[in-house]
Amino acid sequence: MLEVKDIVVRYGRREVIHELSLSVADGEVVTLIGSNGAGKTTTLKSISGLLRPVSGSIVFDGERIDTMQPHDIIARGVVQVPEGRLLFPDMSVGEHIELGGVRARSGGRTYSERVDWVHEMFPILLERRDQKAGTLSGGQQQMLAIARGLMANPRCLMLDEPSLGLAPIMVDLLADTIRSLHEAGITILLVEQRVDLALRLAHRGYVLETGRVVLEERAEVLLEDPRVKAAYLGA
Amino acid sequence: MQRYFPLVAIAAAIVLPLLTANTYFHHLLVLWMLFSLLALSLNVIIGYIGELSFGHAAFFGIGAYVAAILGMHTGLPGVVELILAAAIAGLFGLVIGYVALRIVGPQFAILTLGFGSIIYTITNYWVDVTRGPMGISNIQPLSVSGDFLALTGALGYYYVTLFFVVAFAYACYALMSSRTGRAFIATRENAPLASSLGIDVFRMKLLGFVVATAVAGIGGALYAHYLTVVTPDVMSLQYMAALIIMVIVGGRGTIAGPIIGALIYVGLLEALRAVGPLRLVIFAALLTLSVIFLPGGIVSLWKKWFGDAETGEPAREGGAS
Repeated sequence: MLEVKDIVVRYGRREVIHELSLSVADGEVVTLIGSNGAGKTTTLKSISGLLRPVSGSIVFDGERIDTMQPHDIIARGVVQVPEGRLLFPDMSVGEHIELGGVRARSGGRTYSERVDWVHEMFPILLERRDQKAGTLSGGQQQMLAIARGLMANPRCLMLDEPSLGLAPIMVDLLADTIRSLHEAGITILLVEQRVDLALRLAHRGYVLETGRVVLEERAEVLLEDPRVKAAYLGA
Repeated sequence: MQRYFPLVAIAAAIVLPLLTANTYFHHLLVLWMLFSLLALSLNVIIGYIGELSFGHAAFFGIGAYVAAILGMHTGLPGVVELILAAAIAGLFGLVIGYVALRIVGPQFAILTLGFGSIIYTITNYWVDVTRGPMGISNIQPLSVSGDFLALTGALGYYYVTLFFVVAFAYACYALMSSRTGRAFIATRENAPLASSLGIDVFRMKLLGFVVATAVAGIGGALYAHYLTVVTPDVMSLQYMAALIIMVIVGGRGTIAGPIIGALIYVGLLEALRAVGPLRLVIFAALLTLSVIFLPGGIVSLWKKWFGDAETGEPAREGGAS
C-alpha cells in the first residue's frame, strides 16, 4: 500500500535520512523505533509531504506522492497526527474537529458520519465541544489530535509519539484506540518512544539508527531480539 | 442581547443621518462608511490571514481610477462600473498576491509597500491615462443607468456605502463561522501545522487577499463617485498608514473593530483639524500606544468589561507550538 524506496532527506545541507526504504501493507500496523534523532519523525514528514526527499520515491496505492503537496496527499488518505498534539490552543474542540475535515479523502464515511464516529470513539470530545483545546488535559488533547486526523478520512494513519507525556491509564486507552482503528480497517504507521508498547501493537517493526534502517522484523521477533532488548527495552 | 447587537447597530446606522439636516455631518458619515469598508477589507489580510499589507491604499486607488476613467470615456452604468472596479482591483490583487504571498512576515509587508509605491508612481506619471497629479475631476454621480436613480446628495452615498459595509461585514461573519473560516484561523495561527492538516495555505491566503483587494476596489469606486474627483494622493503613504491604524486601533480579526477604528479616525481627523499636520503625529502615537497597551484594539475593552462577547480575536503571539 505504502512503499518508501531509497529516500534521501536533507535539512539544509545536512543529510539526515540516507537511502531509507520501508513498506506498509494494506491493513497492517507497522512501527518505527529508534532513539532520538534516528529520523523517525523526518520519515513521517517526508511521507506526508511536509518535507521533500531529494531522491528516492514514495508510492501510495500505485501513485507517486513524493512530489505532491501535503493537501493532495491527505486527499488520498495519508494522514499524519503530529508529535506533541499540536493543537490551536484558542480554538474549541468542535472547531478542531471541523478543521480536520477541511480536506478529506472522498469515499467512505460522509462528513457527518465521521463527526458521529469520532464522538462515539471519544465521547469526552462531544462533552467538551465548546471548550478551548488549550484547556484540555494531555490525554484529551491527544484524543482530539487523533480525532482531527480521523476527520480527514484516512486509509493510512501515521501517529507520531502518541503516548508522549500521557498518564499510564491514558496510555492503555490509547493502545485500545489504536487497536480499534486497526480493526476498523485503517492502516497504521506508528512512531513511538515506548518501544514495548509499540511492538505489542504492531505486526512489524523497523529499527532506525542515524537515518538508516538497521533491522526489519516481525514485532514478536523484535521483542525477543537481544539488540532491541538492550537498546530500547532496558533489559 | 448579544445576538441583537448587530441589528441594533444597523438600525442606529440607518436612523443616524436622519437626526440632523447638517450636510457636513452627513459628509463625515459617508467618509466613516467608506473607511469602514476599506478597513474591513484590510482586516481580512491583517486579521484573518495574519499578514501586514502596506499596499492596500493602492487597490483602493485602482478602484477609484477605474471608476473615474470608465466614467470619463464610456459612460457605463454605475453598477457595471462598481463590478469592473472590483474585478480589476481583484485582478491586480491576484497577480501581486500570487507573487508576494510566497513570502511571509516583514518581507511580505515590504513587498506590498513596494507594489503600492509602484502603482502610486505609475498613476502619478502616466499622464495620458490618469492625467497625472492633476487627477480626474467631474466624475459623474453613481447611477443605475444614465441619470436614472443618480445619487446626488451625501445621504444617498451614505446608504449605498452602508449597504456594502453591512453586506461585507455579514460575509466576513459567515465566512469566519464556516469551515473555510477555521482554515483561515488555522493558517494565521500556525501555517506549518495548518498545512499538515491538509489546508492549502497559499491558496487560503491568496483567496483572502483577492477578496480584500476587490472590496477595496469597490470602496475606491464609491469614493471617486462621491467626491467627483480623484488624485494619486488616495494611494499615498498617508492613506496606507491610516487604514492600518483603523484596523489595529479598532481591533484586528473582529468585525466591529475596523468599523470603530474608522469612526475614531474620521472623528479625530475632524476634531484635530486645527492642529494641522501634527495630526499625523497624534495618529502615530495612537497606533504605538494601542499596540503596546491594547493589542486587541478598542473592541478588546468591551470583552474585558462585559465578558466573552466577541469571537475571533487573534490569539497571543505564537499560537500553537
